[in-house]
Amino acid sequence: MANAPFKLSRAGRRSRFFVHAKCSLLLAMLGSLSGCQQQDDRKVLTLWHQMVPAERVILNERIAKFEDENPQYRIRALYKETEELRSGFQAAALAGIGPELIYGPSDVLGAFHTMGIVQDMSVLAPALDPADFVDDSLTYLPSHDNPKQLALLQIPDRLGNHLALVYNRNLIASPPTTTDELIELGVKNTLDENKDGRNESYGLVWNFVEPFFAIPFLTGYGAWVFDDSGDPVPALDTPECVAAYELILSLQDKYGIVPRNCDYETADSLFKSGKAAMIINGDWSWADYLNTEGIDAVVAPLPIVSATGLPMAPMVSPKGYSLNAYATPESAAAAMKFVTFATSESAQRELMQKLKILPSRKALHDDPLLTTDPTLLASKQQFANGRMMPVDTELRAVWDAMRPHYQALLGGSVSPQEAAQSMQKDALRAIQLMNRKTDKETAVWAWQLAGILICGALVVWQRKSLLDFLPDFRRQPFAYLLIAPALATIFLTIVFPFFYNLMLSLSDMSLTNFQDWKIIGLANYLEVFSEAKFFTILFKTLIWTVVNVFFHVAIGVMLAIAINGPIRGKAIYRIFLIIPWAVPAYITALTWRSMFHYDYGAINLLASSWPINLVTTNSWFVEFFGSPPFNWLGEPGPAFAACIVANVWLGYPFMMVIALGGLQGIPHELYEAARIDGANRLQQFRNVTLPLLKPVLAPAITLGAIWTFNNLNVVWLVSNGGEPSDQTHILVSYVYKAVFNLYRYGYGAALSMVIFAMLLVTSLVSLHRSKATENVYG
Amino acid sequence: MDKLAESRWITLLRHTVLLLFAAISIYPVLTVVTISLRPGNQLQSTDLSIIPENWSFASYSQLIYEEPFLRWLGNSLLVSLLVTLTGVAMAAIGGYALSRFKFIGRQTTMLAILTTQMFPATMLLLPLYILIAKLHLVNTFFGLMIFYVSTALPFCIWQMKGFYDTIPTSLEEAARIDGCSQMSAFTRVILPLAAPGLVITALFSFMTAWSEYIVAAQVLQESDLFTLPLGIKNFQASMSTQWGLYAAASILVSLPVVIVFLVLSKYLVSGMTLGAVKE
Repeated sequence: MANAPFKLSRAGRRSRFFVHAKCSLLLAMLGSLSGCQQQDDRKVLTLWHQMVPAERVILNERIAKFEDENPQYRIRALYKETEELRSGFQAAALAGIGPELIYGPSDVLGAFHTMGIVQDMSVLAPALDPADFVDDSLTYLPSHDNPKQLALLQIPDRLGNHLALVYNRNLIASPPTTTDELIELGVKNTLDENKDGRNESYGLVWNFVEPFFAIPFLTGYGAWVFDDSGDPVPALDTPECVAAYELILSLQDKYGIVPRNCDYETADSLFKSGKAAMIINGDWSWADYLNTEGIDAVVAPLPIVSATGLPMAPMVSPKGYSLNAYATPESAAAAMKFVTFATSESAQRELMQKLKILPSRKALHDDPLLTTDPTLLASKQQFANGRMMPVDTELRAVWDAMRPHYQALLGGSVSPQEAAQSMQKDALRAIQLMNRKTDKETAVWAWQLAGILICGALVVWQRKSLLDFLPDFRRQPFAYLLIAPALATIFLTIVFPFFYNLMLSLSDMSLTNFQDWKIIGLANYLEVFSEAKFFTILFKTLIWTVVNVFFHVAIGVMLAIAINGPIRGKAIYRIFLIIPWAVPAYITALTWRSMFHYDYGAINLLASSWPINLVTTNSWFVEFFGSPPFNWLGEPGPAFAACIVANVWLGYPFMMVIALGGLQGIPHELYEAARIDGANRLQQFRNVTLPLLKPVLAPAITLGAIWTFNNLNVVWLVSNGGEPSDQTHILVSYVYKAVFNLYRYGYGAALSMVIFAMLLVTSLVSLHRSKATENVYG
Repeated sequence: MDKLAESRWITLLRHTVLLLFAAISIYPVLTVVTISLRPGNQLQSTDLSIIPENWSFASYSQLIYEEPFLRWLGNSLLVSLLVTLTGVAMAAIGGYALSRFKFIGRQTTMLAILTTQMFPATMLLLPLYILIAKLHLVNTFFGLMIFYVSTALPFCIWQMKGFYDTIPTSLEEAARIDGCSQMSAFTRVILPLAAPGLVITALFSFMTAWSEYIVAAQVLQESDLFTLPLGIKNFQASMSTQWGLYAAASILVSLPVVIVFLVLSKYLVSGMTLGAVKE
């Protein structure tokens, strides 16, 4: 009773707080509405690009210049990351709100053209002379209406995207010209100076886990991703490929000049800090290396493979502008004006001078700069023996098929022959899945009828509730009015997407039927259940969900109880403990990834340092887990465990806050009563804390389980998209891959509906049993 | 306070657990701080020191003086606060209805709200674009708000219902007998007691809007309107991320969350006592 006045004053503050809140809400609403309206009569053209920061500066200057010369237009340039640009453009173009122009490498154009979301630019650019451009740099594909005619799909402003060798002149005097020299120099520069069994510096680094970076080795042995029939038929299982993989493998295993599990960021960091003598990387990265202090980076062409005498040839591709198929004639004409402006000779000269980028216009290839600047010269030499990256959609299936087996090969679990065989097999299968056409059309009326019947059955089943609704509404309109605004908001945004997906799941929407999809029935669902992979991944997803939610709740409740006592420093603890929730997950997930790194990660260093090494060197520990360092990200089991650890870390603060809130609602008197009855702490926890926490925790646990089940980000970021070998997928990341890598929209939608149905049934059962929707006191 | 005094061992145990988890909580974030202070744009490093060699605040100053960081911050604050207020208001009344009234379709409503969270976000990309186009929501904060509120609401409503469920109905009955209307019994008696729930709901709504990226990327096509997550994405590219800026921005982004939490955590303490019922 002593603190009653205090309570009153708090209530007073609270009500003032609400009055303030309402006022500021109104003010802010008005502000936001007026703030959004921009007065500008210029015609707006949107451009999505994927340029790196230095390129963006020049792009913006170019745009400003264009707008000066053409005051009736405004160019709105938006940066989108590669994958996002691709998936976003597909969806936006389909909805008819995509950008007029997109800018990027040519490899996506095959897919965009098949989908019919980019348009032929040749009619719109009559002044453009193909002879002015370097051969094959303009992207043409057979037109849909008339296969004999070629449609111009991209006008490039540069050539490149090619890999080359960058070496640190502080460590190496001149670049290797053959792979034998490369190995020799590599061995010389791979050093373990303090003799702790772990190399401090390496001879050669590159994004070892990504097959795009293995292409120069394949070409160095005379292999290529497609056979020479002219059609995009994969040729991944050839003796040349096997020989190339053997060379790559020997760099890691026999000579040890490449670090294990070297991904892009590791390679990049090692080279920049002078701990790697050579790096294989693309033209996008060179400027950064040349400007890095402490190293003396020089670009050189990749060496000749000693065994064959062939140069290692990287994939090259033009980069340029493409036009949205849904751009209105008026905006298309305006967009073309800008494209002409941005790909002109003067624009390209500027790019060449400022960014050392190879131009796509022939005239500029005679420029003296190309022979005097060492980087441009090396770039040009490398480009000259590069091979044009195919624009065929099948290339995507090839990457997809190569990646897991390539990673398995590097991890040592398969031989080069086995890897090559599996790659070929998977590539053929993926291409077949991607290009499959279904002629079968189910009568739409049958599905409509089924829909009506289901609705009818629901009405009949729930007839009593429906009949009671009006009287009940008259009796207590208050209840309905309270819930109505929330329900309206929620369902406004979800009803349409839900039924749209339901429809897609019954359709054949895919790469080849992107816009003209039709209802084909249950085929997608049958496919979902006929794949053995589905059940393994489902099992993994269940483990993922259960383990995560268990630790979220257990740690969260434990921390809440720990902090809820009479201790000092509560405020500080609270802030520290909430930090994993406050810092954006997209960066902390990556931090966790680097903490699990084999050589440099904090976890492995911690595992072998005092006092933890007392445990980790113990014989039973070694027997169970092996001795550190652990190859966390290189093996399926540990990689999955790493994802779980990262996600547990991300999730416990949320549960802690909820449990903390829940604990406040438990009256002290109940504990006193329990103590008087002689209950010890554990009994108090079980009989007082838990039952009263339940109504507060139940929604968080139910929803937490659903969110965890569908949590794409953490798995994707920590395992770098399912590494190693696509073994770290949960169902949603698998859907993501199916939809965005192989364009299987119908299949993805069906899989999503299955996920939805599973979650629905599970929640129904668990809610029914736990009675979480019921009132504890009621 | 005497009766609450605990043995030293319990206090020591509390501190041990809290210190251990405080360390676990901040270590990975310290790594992010390290990246933000490190010159030369690297994600990883071979040394484990928290303060890197040649450290500088260059990334932070570039972020604030050269990038439109403050504008993004303003946009994000506006959107997030609006979402928080709308979300909390709707959840406070919606949850109350679900907790206190036995109306037709109550169970179904609860479940239906839950089902909206079950759909994998991956597949929503396509229909959302169509929805945004049809409703003319491109480049409006209003559009963004609708999506964020509807994303945050299901949890918020369930959470508020859970909190109301722990408050005895006898309290309202007492208030009604004392002459309160149904509405004022709710606002004067129940709502203050559900303060911890409101805090959690507010924090959750704020975080939903604060960190959301996918919908923002669809709705906002004008860099002046970007929210923070969208702006920060500018520094990230698949093979040429500006790690210094990316990390610095991530650290700065989390500060407002910590501040919001600090402000709200005062209300995480409620004066709930069983004695209230006897009065």
